[in-house]
Amino acid sequence: MSEPLELQGADRDEGTVVLNMGPSHPSTHGVLRLVLDVDGEVVTRCRADIGFLHRGFEKIAENKTWTQFITWTDRMDYLAPVSNNVAWALAVEKLLGIEVPERARVLRVLLCEMARVSAHLLWLGTHALDLGAATVFFYTFQQREILYDLYERLTGARFTTSTVRIGGMARDIPEGWLDDVRAFADQVTKVIDECDRLLTRNRIWLGRTQDVGIISREDAIAWGCTGPVLRGSGVEWDVRKAQPYLDYDQYDFEIPVGTVGDVYDRYLVRMEEMRQSVRIIRQAIERMPDGPLNADAPKVVLPPKEKVLTSMEALIHHFIIVTEGFHPPEGEVYHAIEAPKGELGFYIVSDGGPSAYRCRIRPAAFVNLQVIEKIAVGQMIPDVVGIIGSLDPVMGEVDR
Amino acid sequence: MAIKVKRTPRPERPPLWKRLVLGELIEGLMVTLVHNFRALREPFTVQYPDEQLPLEPRYRGVPRLRSHPETGEELCISCHQCERICPDRCIHIEDEPHPSGRGKRPRVFTIDYERCCLCGLCVEACPTKPVTSIYMSHDFELARYRRDEFKADLRELYFGKDKVVYGRRS
Repeated sequence: MSEPLELQGADRDEGTVVLNMGPSHPSTHGVLRLVLDVDGEVVTRCRADIGFLHRGFEKIAENKTWTQFITWTDRMDYLAPVSNNVAWALAVEKLLGIEVPERARVLRVLLCEMARVSAHLLWLGTHALDLGAATVFFYTFQQREILYDLYERLTGARFTTSTVRIGGMARDIPEGWLDDVRAFADQVTKVIDECDRLLTRNRIWLGRTQDVGIISREDAIAWGCTGPVLRGSGVEWDVRKAQPYLDYDQYDFEIPVGTVGDVYDRYLVRMEEMRQSVRIIRQAIERMPDGPLNADAPKVVLPPKEKVLTSMEALIHHFIIVTEGFHPPEGEVYHAIEAPKGELGFYIVSDGGPSAYRCRIRPAAFVNLQVIEKIAVGQMIPDVVGIIGSLDPVMGEVDR
Repeated sequence: MAIKVKRTPRPERPPLWKRLVLGELIEGLMVTLVHNFRALREPFTVQYPDEQLPLEPRYRGVPRLRSHPETGEELCISCHQCERICPDRCIHIEDEPHPSGRGKRPRVFTIDYERCCLCGLCVEACPTKPVTSIYMSHDFELARYRRDEFKADLRELYFGKDKVVYGRRS
C-alpha cells in the first residue's frame, strides 16, 4: 500500500501547503481530484488523482457480446455518446471486414458532428462558467436542449443513444428530421457568433485565458495530446484528415490550429471547430443518399422484423445473433476516430469468440489530462480552474 | 494529401477609443440584452412537474409488456431472447406450458428497473407478431421509495404501476 498522494514527496520545500482540489469541486467537471502544492497562490506541484469513476469497461468488454458493449460505450465520454458508439462499431467492423452502406456512413458522420457540436457547447458553457462568465452557459445549454430533442427523435434517448449497431444503424431517419437538423445548424451558428461576441474580445476573458497554461508544440506531442489540445499548440493533426474514416476525405472542412498553445488558443480552436462541424453537418445533409442502412451481412446484422417471421433462414440468424452473438475472425485491430476530445481508439484482440478476448480503450481525455501535471506548475490557483476547463476532461472517459 | 488548415489568429487589440468606452463589454452586454427580451417574449423553459414536454414517438422509457392490440392475447412466447441479449441481465423469465397446449408462456417475468439501462436491445430481439411483446414505454418518472419496488413483475409490466405521488412521507 503506497502512501496517500498528499503525503508523497515529503521533501517539499519549507513553506508550501498541500491543497486538495476536488474530487467534488464544481470546476473539476466530475470527480477529478488535484493535489496541489502551493506556495502562497502559486502552484509548485500538481498531481492528478483519478479513478473515482472507474467501472472497468475494458474488463466488461471481455464479458459482453460485441453488440451488448455498445451500450457501455455510451457511458464513456457521456457528452458525445454517438462518437464512442461509432468508434466501437468501426473497430469491430474492421475486425469483421465489413463496410456499412453509404447511407449509414453519412448518418454516422452527421451524428458524430452533432455530438462534437454538443460536446463543445457544453465545454464552452462550463468553461466560461468556471471563469466567471455565467451567461454563456445558458445560451449554450439552450442549443444543447434542441440538439437533445433531435437525438431523441432519431434514437429514442436524449443522452445514452445506443443507436449504432455493428454493421449499420439501429433506426432510420424519421420524417422531417433532416430539415430540423438543417434549421438547427443555421441557428447554432448564430449562437456561436453571440458567444464569440461575448467572450473573444472581452478583456476579462483575455486576462483569464491568455498566456495561461501554455503547452508548447513539442510538449503537446511528447505528452501524447490529441484533439483540440494538440491543435491549440499548433500541431496540424486530426484523425479525420490524417487517417480518414467514414469518407471524411470527401467532406470539405478545415482544421483549426492555434499559435501559442495557451487556454485562449484552445478556446479559439474549439470555437472554430464547432463552425467547421456545422459545415460538415450541412454537407452530410446534402449528401444523405437513399438506400439500405445496414450492411449485407446476415450473420452479423439482425434481419428486419418482417423477415424474421416469414423466412426460416432469417429466423435462425436472428436467434443465433441474439442468443449467442456473432463470431468475428481471430485477430487484432486498432481503429481510432476523432472524437470531440481527441483521438478515441479501440484496440481489440479477438479469439474468434462472441466477445473480445481483450479490449484496450485509448481515451482522448485520459491522455490529455496528464499534461496538467506539467502546465499547472507556476500558475495561480484560479488559473488551474481555467486549465482544467481548457483540457476538457470527461471523467467518464478518463476513468472508464 | 495536404491538410487544410485554418489558423485561428488572435484578435487585434481594439482601437483606443473603444477600449476607453469599454466597447467589448458593451458589445457583449448587447447580446445579453437581446436575449433577455427574447426570453421574455418566448420563454424556453417549462415549469416541469406542472407542465410536461411532449415525448417523441421513439422515446425509450422503461420496458413493458403488451398483449395483442386486437385480440388481447398474451404475446410473449417465453423465448428468453430478451433475457439473453440484455446487457445488464435485468430480465428474468420462468416459463410454463401454455394452457392451450401449444408453446410456452411466462410464469414469472421480472424486469429489474434498478439495473435496466433503457438501451432497447430487448425490443430488437423480440420476435413476436404483429408487434413486439416487450416495448419501450414512455414512462420515465421512476422514483420509488423502496428498492424492492423497482422489480417489476408481470402485473406491473402489463398494466403499469399506479402513479406515485412524490412528496414528503408522513
